[in-house]
Amino acid sequence: MIPASFDYVRPATAAEAVQALASAGEDAKVLAGGQSLLPILRLRLAYPSTLVDLGGIDELSGVRDDGGAIVIGAMTTHDEVLHDALVAEHAPLLVQATKTVADRQVRNLGTFGGSLAHADPAGDLPSVALALDAELRLLGPSGERTVPAREFFVDYLTTALAPTEILTSIRIPKLGSGWSTHYEKFNRVAQAWSVVGVAAAVRRADGSIAEARIGLTNMGSTPLRATAVEQALTGADASVAAVTEACGRAAEGTSPPSDLSGRADYREHLATVLTRRAVLAAAGI
Amino acid sequence: MQLEHSFTVPAGIEQAWQVLLDIERVAPCMPGASLDTVDGDDFTGTVKVRLGPIGLTYKGKASFVEKDAAAHRVVIDAQGKDARGNGTASAKVTATLEPDGEQATKVVVLTDLYITGKPAQFGRGVMVDVGNKLIGQFADCLAGKLGGTEVAPAPEDEAAPSVANAAAPSAAAVEQPAVAGSGAAAVAEPAALAGGSGPAAAEVSVAPSGSAAEIAAGEPVASAAEQPLTDVVAGVQATADSSAPGTDPIAPTFTASSGEAASSGETASSGEVEPIDLLSSAGPAVLKRLAPIGLAAVLAAVLFAILRRRQA
Repeated sequence: MIPASFDYVRPATAAEAVQALASAGEDAKVLAGGQSLLPILRLRLAYPSTLVDLGGIDELSGVRDDGGAIVIGAMTTHDEVLHDALVAEHAPLLVQATKTVADRQVRNLGTFGGSLAHADPAGDLPSVALALDAELRLLGPSGERTVPAREFFVDYLTTALAPTEILTSIRIPKLGSGWSTHYEKFNRVAQAWSVVGVAAAVRRADGSIAEARIGLTNMGSTPLRATAVEQALTGADASVAAVTEACGRAAEGTSPPSDLSGRADYREHLATVLTRRAVLAAAGI
Repeated sequence: MQLEHSFTVPAGIEQAWQVLLDIERVAPCMPGASLDTVDGDDFTGTVKVRLGPIGLTYKGKASFVEKDAAAHRVVIDAQGKDARGNGTASAKVTATLEPDGEQATKVVVLTDLYITGKPAQFGRGVMVDVGNKLIGQFADCLAGKLGGTEVAPAPEDEAAPSVANAAAPSAAAVEQPAVAGSGAAAVAEPAALAGGSGPAAAEVSVAPSGSAAEIAAGEPVASAAEQPLTDVVAGVQATADSSAPGTDPIAPTFTASSGEAASSGETASSGEVEPIDLLSSAGPAVLKRLAPIGLAAVLAAVLFAILRRRQA
């Protein structure tokens, strides 16, 4: 279907983009890779007055080393993330999860920042950002601010981004030695959204698990951290039995949806199974 | 879809009851924005819902269908239609007041919500979230009206993250809504899907699903109503998952039709909703281009047959 008409702006810098958003008013919408927004426009579920296309802003793309972290430009495409040496070295969890995002065509155009800003709870990358304790840089009319991933996702398709703000980059702290990660995704069709997904980062020390961070995909209206499991895993034996017991708490504090892919209780069960698999794989048990 | 919210307001039950009956104050909460007209127990208004990039504006009417002073219960029926043809929403809201100590009243809002129309390219059914948002807004608004400006947070369970949302200006804590299938018949749903692109103009009838008491018992019985809703969502997701709902189905249909055209001279008719127009306009062109090939194939077959006969 053909979208309703809208004005189109393609600024060359991030500052100009913010300016364009401010002058376009409340109904303006930011266009990143367009892999979620364009279908919504074509279904005529969204009627933006103006689209501000970030595609022409070079400063928003690319990955750089920032000492203790890597900084990924918001407009870096999934495909660029997959082939970046810095990401592969310091955030292999992101590479693994990005590989499962939709199909090659979508990965060629879709962007890491766009995926986070769209905030579909079934999207894979928000929970990865949570598990990696990413920090998001936002630019607005009154300047820049940094929001931790934990505070960024507010509700279904809703983030901490103000209407006049854009997401410029994502800072992912490098995982130190002893950390290892795994993304476990369950879906019925190769390209489909996660029914449930689990992003796990685990630090092992002396035969036990010293620390764990678990991000859950599609277990609520936002991506979630499985804090009960994280607590139970801290100091736990690096054994199948101990991990299995801790991961049995994966559904605590979640409110998964019921839809055709599965009922809420099915998802709760799935979360415990996938969390166990993800943690065991990450910890190499 | 059935939603349940409850909150506590710092007002005596009789005082709260009076506010609840005041249409001018309560109706704009139904659920959301503005009241256009009031006529006795009937009123009309507009409700706006915003979910990320999605914006829906429901215009419609509502009315009190029951006011039970003894049980402190009101029932409101509401129907609305999206201003841009994105389907309909209808709700039967039952609000019940219960005394909660001397100077506080617990308000339980049970909603039988029905939303039809286009779902979207989302990881999960967006309609449940639209519903939660609608009713979350209503409950928050009601809490604000009933409690004046000082609304104490309910000493209830912690608000679940999904509902803590709601852009709640009021401080009332809203309980996690229980989503369960309702017994109402969802006739309008498949119609909305079959319409494909068309606005879901089908009227929605909200068949009251069981008594309020039954609802209060909170039986999470999955029944017919939930199914068609999710069906619709999944229906579009099936095409949307591959992220190009418009273009994706076309390619395979196209090749299929040209294959048929070569052999039988017919264009294949597809069951797809969207591509049909494109196909019917492109079909003849494909046929025209393939005609020489088909002719050549027939000639080749005839020649082959002749040659073989000669050899034999």
